[in-house]
Amino acid sequence: MTAWAPAAADLEAGRRKAEPCKSCHGADGNTTIPGTPSLAGQPVFFTHWQLIKFRDGRRKDPQMSPFATNLSDADMADLAVYYAAQRPLPRPVTTDPAKVAVGRQLAEQHHCVSCHRPGLTGHEQVPRLAGQDLAYLVKLLRGFKAQTAGDLDGTMTTAAQPLSEADIDNLAHYMATLPPAP
Amino acid sequence: MLRIILTSVVVALVLVFALGPFAEAQQPPQPPPTWKQGQPPSMADSPLAPIAQPPAPKAPGEIPVDKINVPPGFKVSLWAHGLNNARVMTWGDKGTLFVSSRVAGNVYAVVDKGATREVKSIAKGLNLPNGVAFKNGTLYIAEVSRITKMVGIEDKLDSPPAMEVVYDILPRDLPHGWKYLAFGPDGKLYFNIGAPCNICIPPDTHANISRVNSDGTGFEYYAHGVRNSVGFDWHPVTKELYFAGHARDWLGEDVPSDIFSHAPKKGLHFGFPFCHQGDILDPDFGKGRTCSEFAAPLIKTGPHVAGNGVQFYTGSMFPAEYQNRAFLAQRGSWNRTQRIGFRLMMVTLRTADVPKYEVFAEGWLQGGQPWGRPVYTQLMKDGSLLISDDYAGAIYRVTYQR
Repeated sequence: MTAWAPAAADLEAGRRKAEPCKSCHGADGNTTIPGTPSLAGQPVFFTHWQLIKFRDGRRKDPQMSPFATNLSDADMADLAVYYAAQRPLPRPVTTDPAKVAVGRQLAEQHHCVSCHRPGLTGHEQVPRLAGQDLAYLVKLLRGFKAQTAGDLDGTMTTAAQPLSEADIDNLAHYMATLPPAP
Repeated sequence: MLRIILTSVVVALVLVFALGPFAEAQQPPQPPPTWKQGQPPSMADSPLAPIAQPPAPKAPGEIPVDKINVPPGFKVSLWAHGLNNARVMTWGDKGTLFVSSRVAGNVYAVVDKGATREVKSIAKGLNLPNGVAFKNGTLYIAEVSRITKMVGIEDKLDSPPAMEVVYDILPRDLPHGWKYLAFGPDGKLYFNIGAPCNICIPPDTHANISRVNSDGTGFEYYAHGVRNSVGFDWHPVTKELYFAGHARDWLGEDVPSDIFSHAPKKGLHFGFPFCHQGDILDPDFGKGRTCSEFAAPLIKTGPHVAGNGVQFYTGSMFPAEYQNRAFLAQRGSWNRTQRIGFRLMMVTLRTADVPKYEVFAEGWLQGGQPWGRPVYTQLMKDGSLLISDDYAGAIYRVTYQR
């Protein structure tokens, strides 16, 4: 379709450039550190745009921001294709079935699948949420509600405004239980 | 006003019933993302969705300029590349081309080195900074909720001055919150405040073209009922405002048409959300209204074409008949099965006849798939025409030789 990766993007170069990322994001983009996202299988556009946002200061994180400061456009393209090619694994997580049930209903009410696709597996600039880390999902949803998460075009900031703290918790429990790969 | 309130109530009730299955949920139904608002239930599984913005500009070798068709005698070349998400272009007094972006959050300066162009980033991390305008040594930048300026920027491209606030109490809504910004013949800064939705009764503060003095005083609304206009210009002779308008989605493949409209005076209402394209009442919001209440468009520019840039030609390079013609850049459709737009149209205004509306440049769409999206134009001093492409991250130059 309309998706394309820069012709110059190099998966093997991305693997080498991902060395410094391993300690937090895992050897193949699958990590078990609470609060840190797994990047394996995330869409190319998504990872690339997030790196741009970290580099330009639109998205801030004390651990991540310094790593993005000196990335070139080619680095970002290479890293994005590398992580997109890795197979996402489920995160070790204990979820509350009651919260999962409410979260499923909330996800429907808030039209999450409109952009994140059925199963919340993501595509193009929209991330996979299925099987993502619970604490990270909570952190991001809070950030969008507070308008500090560095939105690309405003869609998520707008969507997060009506969410209560309980809604965020329930949604994160639901998303964390979904299988990360079809 | 009462009628507006009643309409809103009726629509709210319609929505509640339409979304019946959610009625038992804990919360009232939430609006879907802007691009999906107004989608009829029968189209819930439609694959139509906005075209994703690539995160990186294309390399020159990936930009097939030769696919762009122009009339005989005209020639298109790649003038600059590597400008992620390149949008509005405006000239500095000393020959720097300033280029905005939207989701990339950057403002660029392009320095013409003759055979090549050097691209510098002069601002980054901004909030959808689509609007740029230049006057008396100062660059003005419009983000979602504020207009700022960089004084003396052209002498400091490598260490840009701080952004000083001109006006920062604009609505913070992100849907249709990005702005076109331009100086009018009256010296005021004009910009749009788009409707914060696909289709809704907008707050009184939205769906308009507004203006403010360049010192931040004298804010006022200029045109009402404008869903979202991110491109306008003033006629070189009459000095009157003409604007492109994006129409609502999900009403059909072929309706409503986007518009090219004439706003010669302050205070006109162009119909949104009640009447679209001058002659179609909105199925929900148009109840009890008539289209004759509103200013009709000058041209129906086509369904879902996404008309952005508007520019009257005043250069000396193109043939004489091109004087005062308007170029309309159409970024192209997503809410239509057969894609349309992705082209540069041309309007010839005629005193005793309807305007002539024809294709000037096309070819960004190949086999139904876009490789680029023309979004704004700007004239060069020699009369050639620059076209920005926010999908390929490039700027083309159109020249003419007899």
